[in-house]
Amino acid sequence: MDFTEEQIERYSRQIVLKEVGGRGQKKLLDSKITVIGCGGLGSPITYYLTAAGIGSIKLVDFDRVDLSNLQRQILHYTSDINKMKTQSACEKLTQLNPDPEIQIINEVLSSHNVKEILQDSDFVLDGSDNLPTKLLINDACINLGIPFTIAGVLRFNGQVLTVIPQKKTTCYRCVFGDISGNTASVSCSQAGVIGLIPGAIGCIQANEVIKYLLNIGDLIINRILMVDFLNYQFNFIKVIRNDDCPACGENPVDLINNYDYKIDDACHG
Amino acid sequence: MMLVMVEKMNITKLDIRGKVCPMTFVYTKLYLEKMNKGEILEVMLDFPVAVENIPASCKQQKIGNVIDIKEVNLDKKTWIITIKKI
Ligand SMILES: [Zn+2]
Repeated sequence: MDFTEEQIERYSRQIVLKEVGGRGQKKLLDSKITVIGCGGLGSPITYYLTAAGIGSIKLVDFDRVDLSNLQRQILHYTSDINKMKTQSACEKLTQLNPDPEIQIINEVLSSHNVKEILQDSDFVLDGSDNLPTKLLINDACINLGIPFTIAGVLRFNGQVLTVIPQKKTTCYRCVFGDISGNTASVSCSQAGVIGLIPGAIGCIQANEVIKYLLNIGDLIINRILMVDFLNYQFNFIKVIRNDDCPACGENPVDLINNYDYKIDDACHG
Repeated sequence: MMLVMVEKMNITKLDIRGKVCPMTFVYTKLYLEKMNKGEILEVMLDFPVAVENIPASCKQQKIGNVIDIKEVNLDKKTWIITIKKI
């Protein structure tokens, strides 16, 4: 594929980079990603990856825009209140860059639809706000062999973990799986969060995708990035893969069909 | 003894008069990426700073060796930079 004059100009500031070039840009334009959630994390993720020229972006969210979202979910404007988040997101993203093909899915991600929704993705980004959904994304992506990045934000803190199933890197369940029964874990609607925290963390997730697709730099694999924005502490915590992990271990279990994710009990918001 | 090397080479010509940095390098780079090792690219441009920037960036990113820079007399100051793809 040759670039149009408009594309050369639009992507000039990344084509000019040694690590990208025309080949890298073509790779981005040929890639398909799925973003779960068009909220606080999904906003910067989709804005920047749309701007960067990822070729195909699937947006998954079941929710409508609420006034209380606008403090951090910068995809949505005051005039979007009550609109489906995916619709509101799609309107902004297509105006930002008409190149990516944006697909919207207005469904709650569950064990019934997760594989179908994720299966054709080159990379999946978790922008959900609850542990059951993160575990579901983890288990489905490992089963399908799709790399993914999961993040969490709370108050002034954020964390990111990327998993590359082909390289058998430590998965989210290896680290957080044993507290999965606790659906009462605090979500940001109760604990609160400064809006730019998911903004900054979502940017890191977007950076993971670009680096993975271009095969450059070091990913946040086998370690978790923990960021404390109150004291500006950026730390990596090494995480070791559990050989007995039901998702990524030596004898994996069909979790999607057997594990009770309790998605409906999870607190959304 | 004189050794005469006769190379049958493709010369690709790129006219980016009117373009300014960094677009001058962006176009040069996109053309070089599509070429084979050893092939020659002639870039015609009229943005003075690019005469230094393009060779510097080609060297830094190891995508081409500048083998000639010549100023040509047209209405406006214009240069032709000859680059060998590496
Ligand atoms: Zn695991």
